[in-house]
Amino acid sequence: MDEKGANIDLLFRNGLKDFEVLPPPGLWNGIHSAIKVKTRPIIYLRAAAVVTVLLTMSFLAYRWSREMSLGPAGSVIAFNVPASSPVIYNPIDNTQYLPEKKNNMVKSSSNVLLETEYNSAINEEIETIAPPEQIFNIPETKSLYLIKNETISDLELKPLNSSKGNPIMILYPDLQYPPVNTVVKPVNKWSIEALASPTYYSTFTSGSDQLTSQLPSTEKPLFSYSGGVGFSYKISKRFSIQSGIYYSSLGQRVDGIYSFSGFQKYNESKGGPSFVVPTTSGTVYTINPDVYLTDYGSGKVIAAYTNDAFDPNKANLQYISNSLTQNLSYLELPVIVRYKVIDKMIGINIIGGLSYNLLVSNSAYTMKDGTKYSIGDTKGLNPLALSSSLGMGMEYNLSDKLSLNLEPTFRYYLNPFSVTTGSFIHPYSFGIFSGVSYKF
Amino acid sequence: MSEIKKIIKGCLAGSRRDQELLYRRHAAKLYTVCLQYSGNDEEARDILQEGFIKIFENLHHYKHEGSFEGWMRRITVNTALEKFRTRPSLYRVDDIDTIQEPDAEPDNQDYAGLEANDLLEIIRELPTKYRMVFNLYAIEGYSHKEIGEMINISEGTSKSNLSRARVILQRRVGSYTGIKKKVANG
Repeated sequence: MDEKGANIDLLFRNGLKDFEVLPPPGLWNGIHSAIKVKTRPIIYLRAAAVVTVLLTMSFLAYRWSREMSLGPAGSVIAFNVPASSPVIYNPIDNTQYLPEKKNNMVKSSSNVLLETEYNSAINEEIETIAPPEQIFNIPETKSLYLIKNETISDLELKPLNSSKGNPIMILYPDLQYPPVNTVVKPVNKWSIEALASPTYYSTFTSGSDQLTSQLPSTEKPLFSYSGGVGFSYKISKRFSIQSGIYYSSLGQRVDGIYSFSGFQKYNESKGGPSFVVPTTSGTVYTINPDVYLTDYGSGKVIAAYTNDAFDPNKANLQYISNSLTQNLSYLELPVIVRYKVIDKMIGINIIGGLSYNLLVSNSAYTMKDGTKYSIGDTKGLNPLALSSSLGMGMEYNLSDKLSLNLEPTFRYYLNPFSVTTGSFIHPYSFGIFSGVSYKF
Repeated sequence: MSEIKKIIKGCLAGSRRDQELLYRRHAAKLYTVCLQYSGNDEEARDILQEGFIKIFENLHHYKHEGSFEGWMRRITVNTALEKFRTRPSLYRVDDIDTIQEPDAEPDNQDYAGLEANDLLEIIRELPTKYRMVFNLYAIEGYSHKEIGEMINISEGTSKSNLSRARVILQRRVGSYTGIKKKVANG
């Protein structure tokens, strides 16, 4: 009995030793979603940190915008009050008045009192519509002027220094406000722009593992492009904040991946994605059951069985290509700050900011004679990538409202498209955006 | 660093790619274990899923000492046993202390022609109580004492169940080989 028992034990032990049965497809999804729950808090923390930074930036920009628009508290250009003589008034300390003799400066009942200290800050220009001889430019200065309603040759500008650095308000009894011959024309704070660019896409890669050193050498960036519509708001003379929506398409070719068609009849028994190709932009999984992939032993393709288990040539599969192409499309929502360095007919801006990049599509395919064979897609991609931008914008003003733009921009993705262990793989792109903008 | 160490490191870092690589490399082997211990496919799937979740959750405990596949296999077997212990109404093991010899046993059996698929099918046809003990003793190599502690039965019951399992298996193997020979001879 013991010997027979041992025999039957050995029969089953040896017989089942190397036996494998593929689990049903889809089981991994259940496992992954269960273990993913454990990592979610970290993802939430990161997302919360990003949102906090953006909210803080937005709040500061809003506060800054408000402060710049309002100017110092209480600054008033002029009042029309029924008194007979002008009164100079300090809102901070209303016991401080200018000496009586200052009144002598005002000689005409139609004098115009202007405060230009904050005009530049609120971006307003004064334009006269009076006869040509009365047209004049208001110089930008941090002083207060009384401007007499006289011809340009007679114009006198006399600064009055403020007391203790506080802004001064002048109440002038005979002043008409708004002045009869003066129109206040606001500067166009808003602008809308359309930009597009071909982009060069690649990755910064470092790491000590074999995968990191192997992958980039077989990957070649493809023609990529980005474009969209943005709007910006001028929060001061030199600063503006910009957002919008852009679409960008990135791609790369992975060499050394040999593809064949006609595999469907052999693929039925494999279950689930049959081939896996790790890349710096994520892991490609075959979905098309008709495609067979092999690397002829270089280790780039992971299959459910070994390379020598199936020979595509003996099986008479049709050769397609020796590379595959990955394509990723993102919708970009930027928050960009522009600083105008030169404000002439040709303006120069420095551009910097952050962008959310929402993954909207991804595909993997191979090409033969211009025909695209779908292979599958890239898994494990971050649905939301955060990128930083730095660039220089050149602006050629065709008119007050219309301008041409040229913006060489470098973009660095703060989080990688997908996680690759032991590696530091961060994508970047460079593009020269061109387009038009319209101010309103 | 060996490839499996890299994959484990990646899994510990939360890399989905490495987690899936680990799954794809070992799922078929471990699913076979699950099938050995379960009576139906649905239960096998549940064991594999729960087993892999435990593997990923406990990966940091693996110290790279001994076979990683063996470590994963033990977790999978323990998961199957947990199901066995938590569902006693379905998996009750008879507590029989006396071993009864079977009436007759086929002699000089020719096992040629039996494939692994057939063996798996035969083992899954065993009553659960016999299947558990046979798997733990004959396949995993545990002693009757260890088996008794693992599934809360006495050592004698473990021996009894093993004996009965062997008899049933020998008969089924005999009938399988007989059928196969008839088919082969036309």
